Amino acid sequence: MAELFVALGSWNWLIVGFVLMALELLAPGIFLFWLGVAALLTGVATFALASVLALSWQAQALLFAALAVAAVPLWRRMARGGAAESSTTNPFLNRRSDALVGRVFTLEKPIEGGVGTVRIDDTFWRVTGPDAPAGSRVKIVHADGVNLTVAGV
Amino acid sequence: MSGFDIFSIVLVLLVILTLFAGVKTVPQGYNWTIERFGKFTRTLSPGLNLIIPYFDRVGRKMNVMEQVIDIPQQEVITKDNATVTVDGVAFFQVFDAAKASYEVSNLDQGIIVLTMTNIRSVMGSMDLDQVLSHRDEINERLLRVVDAAVSPWGIKVNRIEIKDIVPPADLVEAMGRQMKAERVKRADILQAEGARQSEILRAEGAKQGQILQAEGRREAAFRDAEARERSAEAEARATQMVSDAISKGDVAALNYFIADKYIKAFGQLAESPNQKVIMLPVEAMSMLGSLAGIGEIAKATFGEAATSQAAARRGSVPPAGPTKSS
Repeated sequence: MAELFVALGSWNWLIVGFVLMALELLAPGIFLFWLGVAALLTGVATFALASVLALSWQAQALLFAALAVAAVPLWRRMARGGAAESSTTNPFLNRRSDALVGRVFTLEKPIEGGVGTVRIDDTFWRVTGPDAPAGSRVKIVHADGVNLTVAGV
Repeated sequence: MSGFDIFSIVLVLLVILTLFAGVKTVPQGYNWTIERFGKFTRTLSPGLNLIIPYFDRVGRKMNVMEQVIDIPQQEVITKDNATVTVDGVAFFQVFDAAKASYEVSNLDQGIIVLTMTNIRSVMGSMDLDQVLSHRDEINERLLRVVDAAVSPWGIKVNRIEIKDIVPPADLVEAMGRQMKAERVKRADILQAEGARQSEILRAEGAKQGQILQAEGRREAAFRDAEARERSAEAEARATQMVSDAISKGDVAALNYFIADKYIKAFGQLAESPNQKVIMLPVEAMSMLGSLAGIGEIAKATFGEAATSQAAARRGSVPPAGPTKSS
């Protein structure tokens, strides 16, 4: 096994890279794909530099470690470069209160002492804002978790 | 194996492990809390996140999707002392993962207990009939109270629904009997109403019939009276005419009529089948008298005619044919 490993030489990196990429498909969400990319780059680098200078396997391992670390900011760029916030078709998933900002509702009961309730989607939301009589229309201007801030329209 | 070999291998392993520890991919629908040396620092939202290995660690993996909890069955005593078995469901959603993780130690149990106690207080203030018929109101009151109570935990209760309200079996049976009695009562009343109406209608019909009959009789009586009057009038007129005729003429004419009638009556008596022998006190004198009367009438009549003829002859053309002088 060890002899085979040694005999394969630089091919090891390419093999390991593809195997890691395959594993990423089986167990998604882990960092394996990027380790695979780093391994492939290491393999390509050793082959490319073989004519100039033969890298020792220790150097190859350190190069691999460096590439793996370098992959993180690259990955973040990918994740954010696609703009994770805007690339989704539904930015308000699990952020129900944020989706309410800008909408206008009618007060069932008056806002007294700065606190009232508004009926939205057959449930009650506590709102804070300037006092207003029942029946007046209010606009939701800010949402912070369960707390909605309203302003008169 | 030199030291450098081992160092290289350990370093590579360390880098790999560190990367695994520092890169966190949070799935959609969850928020993870990060603790730095055990103290909460921030919340990871879904997607790719980096944390500082060795310092930070993932604390709670909080589900921020809307969740359903079953509110277990419990016995509730209503205002009118009926014991009912009630269960329900609550829908809630975590809005603030940090508060939900650290403000309350057992979120689900907290919501369940809170809802159960409030079900008791809300239903305890209502009669059984109200409890059974005002579920919407119960749900709404529960929602207001529980939602306000859980807000410090950074969660929002969206709905609370009472599923089953089961009164004890004997009460259900009594309710069934009550309903049946109500229906029977209604049916009886309707039947009585129908009987009453039909009686009234029948009486009205009889009354109308009698009135119409009486009117008919009255009308008939009027007509009868009128008829009698008319016939009496006619009789009177006839009598008048006869008496006029008698006063103008002769008694002998009257006698003629009587004699005529007398003889006709006599003939009828003779023809009657049951008596062939008739004993009659025939007053020959009166008969003869009436015959004499007839003779007198004839004489008077013919006598008058003769005088009128003579007058005519004197006045104008002599008549053709022989004339007899009487």
